[in-house]
Amino acid sequence: MAREKARQIVEQAENERQRLVEDAKATIAREANDILRNAQAEADGIKRREVSEARHQVKLLEQSEKDRILTVVLDEVKARVRETAGDESKYLAYIARLGADAIRQLGMDQVIVHLNAEDLKRIKVSNFTHEIDKHAPSLAKVEISKEPILASGGIVVSSQDGKVRIVNTFEQRFEALEPKLLIEAGQLLFSEK
Amino acid sequence: MSGLETVKIIVDAEKEASNMLNEAQARASEIRKQIDTLVEVEREKRLSVARKEAASIVQKAESEGKSEAIRYQEESKQNIKKVLQRASANQAAAVKTLFDMIMG
Repeated sequence: MAREKARQIVEQAENERQRLVEDAKATIAREANDILRNAQAEADGIKRREVSEARHQVKLLEQSEKDRILTVVLDEVKARVRETAGDESKYLAYIARLGADAIRQLGMDQVIVHLNAEDLKRIKVSNFTHEIDKHAPSLAKVEISKEPILASGGIVVSSQDGKVRIVNTFEQRFEALEPKLLIEAGQLLFSEK
Repeated sequence: MSGLETVKIIVDAEKEASNMLNEAQARASEIRKQIDTLVEVEREKRLSVARKEAASIVQKAESEGKSEAIRYQEESKQNIKKVLQRASANQAAAVKTLFDMIMG
């Protein structure tokens, strides 16, 4: 009787040990799985970050190279525009046309035309007014201001009192057209078509 | 057998039974004490393996990620080169178009 009771006491303890150890093993297995799952998530994140960083670097490089070419193209365009000012006959016709357009826009009887210092020196007033007259005959009396404007080329046309001005210098044209120029250049240079 | 002898036999038997139960209790207590140690050993063993495997997974991912990034960069650089070659070929036409836009 006592032997049987003793055996039961030990057997119960052994069963209890086995059950608790098995329960613990299941818990430990879950902990181990959690560690592996977290590691896998971290690994996925690391891969994504590496590739994402590479993409970012490539994008920066591509953008920087495109910007470089765009800058080269825009600088070349500016240089060619400035060169045009050197060809007096073409340049005179060009600024006369700009002047005539401005006179039409102003719609005044008398206007003042402003040129840069170099143009003031080399362009004969009579030639210039004659050239404007070709584009806008008898629209307004044109006076050439003796005060030079600060511009690499082009023209400013103002009212007599100077309150209304139409600025058509090279710099202003570049500034005004820059968004369109960039879009057009981007399409021409980088479009796959 | 005398009555005294019978009583002695009974007392001895009870003592033996009591000893047997005490020993069983002591053994059961010993078995229960082992549980924490067994669990701790098992935990350390399994989690140590898991941690090593986890470190290996992360290390492999770092290596694969770097390789993938390098491969992507090399492929992309080739593509950028093509884009730039095409841009260079179109550069003169672009300058002319933009010049015409400025000159109106």
